[in-house]
Amino acid sequence: MKLQIQQVSKKYNKEKYGLKDFSLSIENGILGLLGPNGAGKSTLMKIISTISRPSSGTVDLDGHDILQNPDYIRSMLGYLPQDFGVYANLNAYEFLEYIAAMKGVGGPGLKGRIEGLLEGLNLIASAKAPIGTYSGGMKQRVGIAQALLNDPKVLIFDEPTVGLDPEERMRFRNLIADLAQNCIIILSSHIVSDIETIADQVAIMKSGQLITTGTQADLIQQAEGKVFEVLMNNEDLAAFKTKYQVVNTMRYKDQLKIRYMSNDPIHGSIPIIASLEDAYLYLTHQ
Amino acid sequence: MQYIRSYAFLVTLAIALYAAYSFVPPPGAGYRTLRIGHYVGVNNSAWTGYLTAMMSSIYISAIGLFLINSNIKRDIDTGVGMIIATTSISNFHYLLTKALSNFMVLLSIMGIIMLMSMAVFMLRDGVYPFEMSQFILPFLFITIPSLFFISAFAVAAEVFLYRSSVWMNTACLGLLIAAMVMHTNVHSNIDFFGVKAVTMTMQHNLIAANPGIHPEVSMGFIFSKKNNLIAFTFEGIQWSALFLLNRLFWMCAGLLLIIVSSRFFHRFDISPIVKKQKKTSSDLFIPKASQIKDIKLSLLPHIKPSFGIIPLIKTEFLLLVRKGPRWLWLVNLGGMIALIFSPLTFAHQFILPVLWFLQAGRWSDLSTKEKTNNIHYFSYASYKPLTRLFSAQLIAGILLSLLLASPLLLRYLIGMQFLSAGMIFIGALFIVLAAAFLGLLTGGKKLFEILFFLCVYSNVNSVPFTDYFGALNHSTVYVMDMLIATVCLALFSFQWRKLEMKRL
Repeated sequence: MKLQIQQVSKKYNKEKYGLKDFSLSIENGILGLLGPNGAGKSTLMKIISTISRPSSGTVDLDGHDILQNPDYIRSMLGYLPQDFGVYANLNAYEFLEYIAAMKGVGGPGLKGRIEGLLEGLNLIASAKAPIGTYSGGMKQRVGIAQALLNDPKVLIFDEPTVGLDPEERMRFRNLIADLAQNCIIILSSHIVSDIETIADQVAIMKSGQLITTGTQADLIQQAEGKVFEVLMNNEDLAAFKTKYQVVNTMRYKDQLKIRYMSNDPIHGSIPIIASLEDAYLYLTHQ
Repeated sequence: MQYIRSYAFLVTLAIALYAAYSFVPPPGAGYRTLRIGHYVGVNNSAWTGYLTAMMSSIYISAIGLFLINSNIKRDIDTGVGMIIATTSISNFHYLLTKALSNFMVLLSIMGIIMLMSMAVFMLRDGVYPFEMSQFILPFLFITIPSLFFISAFAVAAEVFLYRSSVWMNTACLGLLIAAMVMHTNVHSNIDFFGVKAVTMTMQHNLIAANPGIHPEVSMGFIFSKKNNLIAFTFEGIQWSALFLLNRLFWMCAGLLLIIVSSRFFHRFDISPIVKKQKKTSSDLFIPKASQIKDIKLSLLPHIKPSFGIIPLIKTEFLLLVRKGPRWLWLVNLGGMIALIFSPLTFAHQFILPVLWFLQAGRWSDLSTKEKTNNIHYFSYASYKPLTRLFSAQLIAGILLSLLLASPLLLRYLIGMQFLSAGMIFIGALFIVLAAAFLGLLTGGKKLFEILFFLCVYSNVNSVPFTDYFGALNHSTVYVMDMLIATVCLALFSFQWRKLEMKRL
C-alpha cells in the first residue's frame, strides 16, 4: 500500500496555516510524526482520516484520490483521535458494535472479534458497564479497540499512549509493531521514546511544515557531533541557557551535569552519542 | 460574552426581532396580544411601549430561563470551574457574576426588542406622536426587575439542582407556571411580571368611562375573528411608590436567592456526590499489572462488509431511550395509557403534545450530540456518514415519536380516521426533523427546546398556527402544507449536514 500526500495545505485565514505545502510518501510500516504543539500533526492526521478537508493539494491511497472518494479509505481505516469522546450511556460492547456499524462491517464474526479485542485490551470484565464509569486509561483502550475493529489497512494514532501506564505503553508498542507488517501506521506522540522504539520512518514537523523525514538513523545523523555534556555550578546555568540549547539537566554530586547542543562546545565538554530526542530538539530549534 | 458571540445568540436575536414585531399587532392582524373585554388600545406610544414591555416581561422570562440555565454547567464541563475554585473569588461574588452575565444576555435581547418596537411604531403609521418615555419607563419598571429575578433564579436552580437537568427544567417550568397563575388570578396580589398593575389600570379606566361593563383582561397571543373590537386610548399609568416597591422587592428577592445559594454552592467540588451516585468500573474491576495483553489480530474472527443501517438505528434508538432519568419512562407509560383511555379529541389535542414535549431533551441534541460528546471524529470518518448515520439518527428519533403516539395512532386506524392518523405521522416526522434542523442551524439544543416549549404552550391553548400534528386542522390542504414543510426540513437538514462535513 502507498499513501501519497502532495502539496497539501490547510489555510485557516489569510495568514494562518494549519499545514503548508506538505508532501510525504508513506508505505507499509510505521511512520512516527514528531513536532511541537501546533506543528500540524493532528491537522495532517485529520486530513488523512477524511475528517478535515485541505485547502489545496492531493492525498492518494494506492492511486485513489481520497479527497474525492473518502469512502475508499474509510472502509479500511482505523483512527484513534487525540481527544475523543464516548457515549457514556453505552457499554463497551454496545459502543464497539455501533462503531462497527458506522464503519460498515459486521457478519457472524463481529461478536467474537469484539470479545477478542476486549479480552486483549483487558476490558472484558467491565464490558457490560457504561463507558461513562470508566477511568481515562480504560477509555483510551476502548479507543484502541475501535481503531482495530475493522481489520484496518491504514491506522492513524494521534497521541495513543495518553492515559496508558508505562507497561501498557510498552504492550501497545508491541501490538502496533506486529500490525505494521501489512498496513500503514501513522503515529504521533510527544513522547519521543514511543516513536524511537518502533517507527520505521520519522517525520518532523514545525509550524505546519515538514522539516525533515527519514529513518531514525538519518535523523540522528543530522545531530551527530553536536551533543555534549558538561559539569557546571548551579549559578552559571541561567547564563549558559542564554547561549546554548540545553537538552537535559541532572544533579551530579554538588554540581549540575548539563546535556546541550552546539556547533561550538565550551571548554571541558564531552561529546555524546546523539539520540532521536536530541535530533528532534536540534531540528525543531534550528 | 461567550454566549453573545455564539451563533445561537444571533438566531435568538432574530427571533427577538420577530417577537418585537408581533407583540404589537397591526390593526388588521388576525390576533391580539392584549384585550380588555371587547376593547383594544389604539397603537399610540403608550400602548405600544407598555404592551411590548409587558409581553417582553412574560416571554423573555419564559424563554430566557431556558436560555441561561446552564451558565455554571459550562464552567463544570469546560473544567474552568476547577480553576475558579482555586481563586480567591467568594461564592457570592462568583454567583453574582453569573447572575449578572445572565442578566446581560437577557438585557441585550430586551434592548433589541425595545429598539425594534420603537422602529415599528415609527414605520407603521405616523398618526400618533412618538414619546420616548412611554417606551423607556415601562421597560425599566416592568421588564428589567423580572429579568433580574429570572437571572438570579437560573443561578439558584443550577446551584441546587445541578445534578439533574430534568429537575432543573421542571423547576424553571414550575416557576413560570406559578408566575402565570398568579398573573391571571384576580385575587392574587403577587405580580411577578409587573403586568397586573398596568392591565388593572386599563380595566379601571374603561369601567370608569363606560359604567356597567365588566371587561376581562386577556393577554398572550389571542387568535380570534372578532371584528367588533372597540378602540380606546391608553395614555400610560402613574408609577406609584407601591408599584415601584413591588418591582424592587423582586430584584431584592433575586439578590437574596444568590446570597442563599452561595451558602450551598458546591464550588465545583462535585466528585464525591458523583461517586455516591454510581460505582465506577475501576471500583468493580481491579487493574492488573498488565492492562493490555498481546493481541494477535490475525487470530481474531474475521468480519465482513455490512452496509445496512439497522444496527445504527438500533444503537441510536438505545441512546434516545437511555437518555434522561428512568422515572420519565413511567410518566411516558402513563401518557401512553392515557392516550388509550382518554376521549379521542382530548388525547390528540392535549396529551400527545405534552407527551412529545417530555422527550424534548432526547430529541434536542439529535444532530449535535456527536460534537458535544466528541464522537464526531469517529462518525465523520465512518462509511457514508450522511446517508447511513444521519439517516439512522433521524429514523431512531421518528421511531421514538411514533412509539409514544402509537396508542392514539391505533385508535385512529381502527376507527378508519386515516387523515388524523396521517397527521400524527407527519407531526412525528416534523418535530424530529425540526429538532435536527435547529440543532444543525445553531449548533446547540436550546433553540429547539425553547421553540418546542412555546409550541406546546400554544398547542394546549388551541392555537391553530402551531398545530403541527393535526389536532385542530383536519383538511387535506393542511396535511399537504405540513408534508411540504416536513420535506423541506428534511432537505435542509441533509444539505446542512453535508455542508458541515465539507467545512471541516
